Amino acid sequence: MISLDKIKHSYGDKLVLEDLCLNIDDKQLTCLLGSSGSGKTTILRLISGLETPLSGSIDIDGNTLAKDGENIIQASERNIGFIFQDLGLWPHFSVYKNVAFGLMEQKSSNIEMKVMDMLDYFGIKDQMHKYPHQLSGGQKQLVAIARSLILEPKILLMDEPLSNLDVKLKRKILEYIKNLKQKFDLSIIYVTHDHREAFAIADQIVLMNNGKIEESGSVEQIKSSNNEYVKYFLEY
Amino acid sequence: MDSIKPINIKNGSNSLLGFNSLLFVIYGLFIIFIGLPIIYTFGTVLFENDLSNSFKLLNNATFSLLFKSLILASSVGIISTFFGTILGFLLYKTNLKLRSFYKIVLLIPLFISPYILAVAWKDFFFFLFGNSSLISSYFGVIMVLSLIFIPLAMLIIGSALSNIDSQIEESALMLVSFKKMVFSIILPLIKPALITSFVLIFIFSISEFSVPAFFGVKVFTTEIFTQFSAFYNHSLAIIQSTLLIAICIILLYAERKYIADAPFLSVGSKGTNNKMYDIINYRKLGQLFLIVWLFISIVLPFIILFAQSFKGGMDSFIRAYDLLLPTFVNSIFLAFMAAIISVFIGFIAAYFSIKRSKIYKSFEWFLLLVFAIPSTIYGISLIKFYNQPELSFIYSTSAIIIIGYVGKYTFISAKLISNAIKQIPNSIDEVSQIQGIPIFSRLTKILIPIILPTIFIAFIISFIFSLGELGTTIMLYPPGTEIMPIKVFTIMANAPQALISSMTLIVFSVTLLMISIFYFMLNPFIKKYHSIND
Repeated sequence: MISLDKIKHSYGDKLVLEDLCLNIDDKQLTCLLGSSGSGKTTILRLISGLETPLSGSIDIDGNTLAKDGENIIQASERNIGFIFQDLGLWPHFSVYKNVAFGLMEQKSSNIEMKVMDMLDYFGIKDQMHKYPHQLSGGQKQLVAIARSLILEPKILLMDEPLSNLDVKLKRKILEYIKNLKQKFDLSIIYVTHDHREAFAIADQIVLMNNGKIEESGSVEQIKSSNNEYVKYFLEY
Repeated sequence: MDSIKPINIKNGSNSLLGFNSLLFVIYGLFIIFIGLPIIYTFGTVLFENDLSNSFKLLNNATFSLLFKSLILASSVGIISTFFGTILGFLLYKTNLKLRSFYKIVLLIPLFISPYILAVAWKDFFFFLFGNSSLISSYFGVIMVLSLIFIPLAMLIIGSALSNIDSQIEESALMLVSFKKMVFSIILPLIKPALITSFVLIFIFSISEFSVPAFFGVKVFTTEIFTQFSAFYNHSLAIIQSTLLIAICIILLYAERKYIADAPFLSVGSKGTNNKMYDIINYRKLGQLFLIVWLFISIVLPFIILFAQSFKGGMDSFIRAYDLLLPTFVNSIFLAFMAAIISVFIGFIAAYFSIKRSKIYKSFEWFLLLVFAIPSTIYGISLIKFYNQPELSFIYSTSAIIIIGYVGKYTFISAKLISNAIKQIPNSIDEVSQIQGIPIFSRLTKILIPIILPTIFIAFIISFIFSLGELGTTIMLYPPGTEIMPIKVFTIMANAPQALISSMTLIVFSVTLLMISIFYFMLNPFIKKYHSIND
């Protein structure tokens, strides 16, 4: 379980999260839903270790990752995958090298086999020699996902990864994402501002507003919530 | 969660600690080799005697000369910014033919030593009027410096113009005329670039030594040089320098937000969706303006130098070649070494100033400060500090020249590189951070390959500037050191005009040759890079 306890965080003078408490179950696909500036991405960045909370603690399965303004376990040691909104593909590496690079740096064995299996699973094996600028939007998404999963993380964080795709492609990639949990034995935290996306894939939804949790629960619980903000948010 | 381990100091923090140490070592060395001489020189003069006594050395003549220099620098700043705006608009906002060609070729005056153009224009005026008294004046200095710095204004303002989102202009065009849109939307939007252009060119002009010295025009920098080299009045030279530096620092401080960010110093900026205009009615006029400008700023000086050099046959040219031949290897070697060091320090300063806290940003500010100090004053500082028996291994060798070049031009490398790094999305580095890739690999395998074209361009610019540097080098060069600009400058005083023109023509050609070699070597690579990053 991922636990955030009394988390406070700010960017400069701007307080983004205050006394935020959140528990996320293992092997679930949890959607952090909310409008821009609600603190969704900040939660991902805190869990990943890219940001350090001002106060409060973050634990995963009893291991404390951050506490009292200090990252106890660094980002590189958390065994977490992160897919950014702009994907962050390395432009000077081919598809193969984008996926393989993390393994190469870890001096892993059987790199080629692992990478080929991964590319094959996502149906982009035939694109392996291409560079990111030669891929379509959907293919780029799949490369980014493959790159994150190749190091076998236990948690995958996804920050609005589909925001730049058309509806048809979105649907296709969402199907992939839904299946990742079982296939790779993962917990996934998926950030989106689109409740339709969240309803399509989530096991659990956490609806955020101005750095606070308005409502959390299953898709059905969210849909039937009496919270005024939830009703307002779902109208649009 | 069994896969999460306690922090591995050896793999994680230690490498970052190593890089922080590297930064501190480089910062420390820069302070020791370049900062300390400046602090030492000014400290000894200003505080060894009573401070008020030191300033009593200044008299009315000094202030009168300072005033004239301020007028001169302001004039160059205004003229350059005005013409730079016109050229910037024509080349960055219209669809005139051969824009890409002009954008590169018109930059040439910026990359050749200022005295080369001064020699060419003096020859031209001599050819027209039979004497050079008209150009050997404030007018001549303003004219030549403007021709040199207009390309800089063009670059700054052109970049700003191409970064305006087309939607802003288009929504204005729906409501008002084109002329109204230019004055009420475009010009206010590029105001920071206009101010930056003026301030930078003002600082460059007030610091310029070789052009006024060549024309025999007394300005503040030549006066400092005279006090230091001819009258050995070091105290007065330093006090005068303090005034000049104070002016430059006040201007920099006032405009710090524009210049410290220096968005113009970038290569391959993708900018936004740039709107281009078809100036149907003025197309021929615009094209004519570009041709005339190319002719005046580059072709004419070259023709004049060529004609003067060979006026009396090949003798002067052969003599000039013989005189300059021993300087080629040394000049290129010193510029090459300085460029490598500048790029290395510039990269470290840029990387840490972007990624780290305020203390690291101070490094970049320090580089800017040294860059803003007029060349002659910087040279005086180095010579006063290193002229000690214990430091003769620097003072009496070419090392002091390399230190001079590095201090002068590392700011440009740092700025170019930091602007290139800023254009890379954070996620590219953060992904590798999360994947546990050590900082050394992140730098050498991810970041540096992505910004490699900028690193090359920073190297070329540092190299070309170092190759033509005169103001600092004239104060520093150890006896027997053969360097191109020094050789030309020391011979200028007594040599026949044809010999001076020939020497200048050779230096001009060598500089153009080096620029061409680098351009043709790197152009295919840079094109490939742009296709990858699009």
